[in-house]
Amino acid sequence: MSEEMNNEQEHKGPRKFIARPKVCQFCSDKNIKIDYKNTDLLRRFVTEEGRIRPRRQTGTCAKHQRAVAVAVKRARYIALLPFTSEPYQDVIR
Amino acid sequence: MRKYEVLFIANPDIDEDSLNGVIEKISGWIQASGGVVEKVENWGKKRLTYRIQKQRDGQYVLITANMEPSATKELSNNLRFVESIIRSMITLVEK
Repeated sequence: MSEEMNNEQEHKGPRKFIARPKVCQFCSDKNIKIDYKNTDLLRRFVTEEGRIRPRRQTGTCAKHQRAVAVAVKRARYIALLPFTSEPYQDVIR
Repeated sequence: MRKYEVLFIANPDIDEDSLNGVIEKISGWIQASGGVVEKVENWGKKRLTYRIQKQRDGQYVLITANMEPSATKELSNNLRFVESIIRSMITLVEK
């Protein structure tokens, strides 16, 4: 982090994007199964308002992100995950 | 034959006997189509994240079964006409 800051101060040009090495957690740990019934796991992949988090936030690879998206959608249908945020739903109720 | 998961949400107001009756009825349908029921898991009453048919809670039941792929369509159709079931889903179990 401190190195990044130093570079910025030196160049004073447009900020360069420094890619962080991200490893997909499902690739590194093959034991984790992406399952629509595992709500505790899936909750980490949706935002507070219930939207699916993008890959740039979750760091999963394309293959597993697709699997996560399918699982979230299944969990939503069977009412294990919300389609929209809870506070918003309360307004409607 | 492939492995499927049949997950359904039953009305929270029905008692245990009638819930078991519903489970038996579904198992009967699976067996009638040449399938084998592997496991029945009753998750009990859970809060739904949104309202379904004006219900805030539901009784979740998960049935794992080996079935012919062609039998799933009829089963999902049958599930729709059970009044005490407020939602159901049939999914394929990979591997």
